[in-house]
Amino acid sequence: MEVAERTRYVRREALRQVLMFGSLFILVVFFSFASPYFFTFQNIISIILATCVNGMLALGVTFVIISGGIDLSIGTVMTLSAVMSGVFITYWGLPVWLGVLGGVGTGVLCGTINGTVVSRMKLPPFIATLGMMMIAKGLSLVISGAVPIYFLNTPSFFQISMGSLLGKIIPGLDVPNAILIFIAATIIAGIVLFRTVLGRYDFAIGSNEEAARLSGLKVDQWKTVIYALCGMFVGMGGVMMASRLNSAQPALGQGYELDAIAAVVIGGTSLSGGEGSVVGTVVGALIMSTLVNGLRILSVPQEWQIVVSGIIVIAAVYMDIVRRRRG
Amino acid sequence: MNESSREPLVLMEGIEKHFPGVYALRGCRFELFPGEIHALVGENGAGKSTLVKILTGVHPKDAGKILLRGEEMDIPNPRVAQEMGISIVFQEFNLMPHLTVAQNIFIGREPRRKGMSFFIDEEAMNQKTQELLDMLHMNINPRTKVKDLTVAKQQMVEIAKALSFNSDVLIMDEPTAALSEGEVEELFRILRKLRDQGLGIIYISHRLEELHHIADRVTVMRDGQYIGTACMEDITIDQIISMMVGREIYETLRERRTSESEVVLEVKHLWRDKDIKDVSFALRKGEILGFAGLVGAGRTEVARAIFGADPLEGGEIYIRGQRVHIKSPADAIRHGIAYLSEDRKRYGLMLGLDVASNMILPSIRDFLGVAGLVRDRKVQEMCEKYVEKLRVKTPSLVQRVKNLSGGNQQKVVIAKWLMKNCDILIFDEPTRGIDVGAKNEVYKILNELVHEGKSIIMISSELPEILRMSHRIVVMCEGRVTGEINADDATEELIMKYATTREESRSFALV
Amino acid sequence: MKWSKGVVGCLVFSVVLLFGLVGAQESYYIPMISKGFQHQFWQAVKQGAEQAAKDLGVTITFEGPETEAMVDKQIEMLQAALAKKPNAIGIAALDSKAVVPYLEKAREMGIPVVGFDSGVESDIPVTTVATNNIEAAGYAADKMAELIGGEGEVAVIVHDQTSRTGIDRRDGFVSRIKEKYPNIKIVDVQYGGGDHLKSADLAKAIIQAHPNLKGFFGANEGSAIGVLLAVRELKKEGQIVIIGYDSGKHQINAIREGIMAGAITQNPVGMGYMAVEAAVKAIKGEQLPKEIDSGFYWYDKTNIDDPKIKAVLYE
Repeated sequence: MEVAERTRYVRREALRQVLMFGSLFILVVFFSFASPYFFTFQNIISIILATCVNGMLALGVTFVIISGGIDLSIGTVMTLSAVMSGVFITYWGLPVWLGVLGGVGTGVLCGTINGTVVSRMKLPPFIATLGMMMIAKGLSLVISGAVPIYFLNTPSFFQISMGSLLGKIIPGLDVPNAILIFIAATIIAGIVLFRTVLGRYDFAIGSNEEAARLSGLKVDQWKTVIYALCGMFVGMGGVMMASRLNSAQPALGQGYELDAIAAVVIGGTSLSGGEGSVVGTVVGALIMSTLVNGLRILSVPQEWQIVVSGIIVIAAVYMDIVRRRRG
Repeated sequence: MNESSREPLVLMEGIEKHFPGVYALRGCRFELFPGEIHALVGENGAGKSTLVKILTGVHPKDAGKILLRGEEMDIPNPRVAQEMGISIVFQEFNLMPHLTVAQNIFIGREPRRKGMSFFIDEEAMNQKTQELLDMLHMNINPRTKVKDLTVAKQQMVEIAKALSFNSDVLIMDEPTAALSEGEVEELFRILRKLRDQGLGIIYISHRLEELHHIADRVTVMRDGQYIGTACMEDITIDQIISMMVGREIYETLRERRTSESEVVLEVKHLWRDKDIKDVSFALRKGEILGFAGLVGAGRTEVARAIFGADPLEGGEIYIRGQRVHIKSPADAIRHGIAYLSEDRKRYGLMLGLDVASNMILPSIRDFLGVAGLVRDRKVQEMCEKYVEKLRVKTPSLVQRVKNLSGGNQQKVVIAKWLMKNCDILIFDEPTRGIDVGAKNEVYKILNELVHEGKSIIMISSELPEILRMSHRIVVMCEGRVTGEINADDATEELIMKYATTREESRSFALV
Repeated sequence: MKWSKGVVGCLVFSVVLLFGLVGAQESYYIPMISKGFQHQFWQAVKQGAEQAAKDLGVTITFEGPETEAMVDKQIEMLQAALAKKPNAIGIAALDSKAVVPYLEKAREMGIPVVGFDSGVESDIPVTTVATNNIEAAGYAADKMAELIGGEGEVAVIVHDQTSRTGIDRRDGFVSRIKEKYPNIKIVDVQYGGGDHLKSADLAKAIIQAHPNLKGFFGANEGSAIGVLLAVRELKKEGQIVIIGYDSGKHQINAIREGIMAGAITQNPVGMGYMAVEAAVKAIKGEQLPKEIDSGFYWYDKTNIDDPKIKAVLYE
């Protein structure tokens, strides 16, 4: 009985992983057969690069969603972080590393404010972060004067995303740094989520906040930390985006939050909290950008690509529900 | 009341049911006459709910037959069951709190206005509801919103809703679990009236003590099998219990304390305007201090306040003679106090997480290694140790807690606090929702704990439990401590006297 | 308690701020309702309009909804503007039909209406100051044909498929190619919402799918920068002819560096200026032509420093 139970559990988890990676794999195989231009080194790099910014936001918001919250401000906070690093580097002439730190710091600050409003002022996360979404958007426009801030005098800033450390070491392997940063962020997120107190508390709060409080957790503090951590990933996403565009575009960003949340959900994280994984989120984000890229290569009209993405979100969540019901 | 010459309302014979890998029911039998209240008892997992689910069409049966009023019937789904006159009232209500009583009862089949079937005829609905409630002798206004009713009244609305389908078979699943003693009496009055009107009532309950007050007959199940049926007049609770567990129950007794030990926790003049009134008491090392009283006497409130879960407005708390200030559960835990709520699922456990995650939660910071990472192997060893020590029956540490039985869930909560080295444990209704066999396990663990030098406050509404386990008993009434009794002098009568002190004498038929 | 005080304080502060912004004004008052305010293009139009206001001694306000999809929000702004009984009104309609009833109301009130950027399907506006986008995009197509030698594959990224400018630029480019250059094949037309990043990822996929692609047209600033980014990241600089639209630092630099062949620029500053000028003339009862072409220019490496071009570019 015991052995049977254990194998059943293992099988269930395996099934979940297989379903997720399987969907991605099927997509890749399908597009590879459909077009000779899909499965090329360059194009695969393009897909992963297109995943980076959305993936960063998705990693951040995964933590918040596991804790049973939501963060709608990630899109515009990302923009604000980009704008702030522009202000620090281009307007104030600070060193690039300081500007990057400032950009990431902006994200952390916004996250901390979100967390404080949610945990201390007890606003529902949806409302609190909706407010932050608008505040960050407005501030981006105000601070930048509604014009893009360019990083033309600091070529090293562009190298953050688009340089290729790997290409220097192994000639020919031109993998942009953005991808390496994203992989590193994924590993860090994974370690934080599964191997640290913060991660364990994240799950605990998401699964039963009151029980967590009665177990001696300072829930308010931890929630603030969780939102701040989300802000950190978002800030990193903002800097990466600014670096890739070599400019901070104050008008971009709105709508990115929904893409990120969709990626999290496709990755099997439950919006009701207490469940989720980093790998799932990354695969979810990859599925989305693979789909966009692949349908593009097949010249499928773009309107349909949006429809297909919607169907994928629903199908992914439905599969997860079915799996859970059986488990 | 039920002569064998009369035709049974329900007769289930040779019922079999497999679930993948297990036999849920084997050769089950059940019989219900009109005008009787028939109790269905058994430990958790004995097959009661499966049997009832087959009768109400939730599960199909694999073999056997069901006769309704003498005719063999097939019950493919719950709607058919309802049309055949079989209704069930679940332990958890299915009412919409923001709708009125009438709207709840007629939901989905509201009377419509003549000629304008798009509109609901509220008047007709309220009137019909009133008639129904009058017939059932329930004093409830159909226009009241359900959320404004007490739990007991809500249950009556559920009963009224069930009977509004003209049912003559009513199934009650653990109806008294959420009721106070007074409310239980009110429920029983109504059930008896319904019985006298000729309804057959199937009564499922874990509270064996109440069966003598309400049931006419009892059917006992064990391990998916039919064990026997008896008239209540001919059987004692102990006999029922031994039928349920299949063995004579092991009577756990408290460990005798040898001498007066040091005071580990003392509270003085605890106060909160509404519900805690000048509460003082002391807890000694290695003792079980029972907290008795009626539901609503303020025992849980005091426990939660000491634990820092709710704020206090006055009073002092001393741990081993030192004054401490407890503002949050985190503070209390730091002083070695743990609180095990009566509602484990809401306040004690992360149901969706696994056994190890639940056990380790408060103490995880004691298991950090390099760079602040959790040392999983160490955690696992520790959890395994406690699973063994407390005899938690779980297939593995990665099993989700929601799949464990009530008794094992309780053990997980206990393990959680022991791992944090808490030595003042406040148990609130430690055996609520736990079946008979597992209750004994919990008692054994409590005894082992005090033997190891832990100190326990045990809040319980079951007097036999209090009397059997406690060294001393504090009795509360309306937020006040009304008496403190040494175990050797304690009797049910004495406790009840204190529990009702300075209060209009309330009907208390149970226990 | 502490928090609630803070919140009340914030509210009071913002109300005061709002009243401060809505000051009283004398002289002619002309509200200008644009399609947006975030994009630099609109910032440039605003700049021109403000210059005109200063030169002619009138007061203007310049506002627009957050995105070019917010037709309803623009109508609210129009209603609010009318309620202030202005002397004239300038509108860059997001939806050429939806605004008509409100313009009729303006006519009843005797308020002259000047359209700018794109027209309205009605004869109410006394004049419309706009770029002829069809003509401008057609010119881009001619340039593209010239630069790729009259044959081969080209692709287009447009900001969106529903707005007037998007439709006009797409159709202007596509139909010119079809009419005049039978050997050029348009392999894909995609929409990136004007989002630099999304346009870049789209453009990359298109380039991957069509390895023989010779030219790429980006129909507004965001689209053009997206194309630019895609070509750079795929290291195809010099292999694909890029033609852009509007200006902005990235495009200007790319043209200087020779990565981008050239771009069409509208005359946003002039457009704003002319719109206000026309409104003032209308108030004074002067006759105006039905349409005023604010003009467009082709600019590339050769003429980018020409003062006439420099004046209409924004960074």
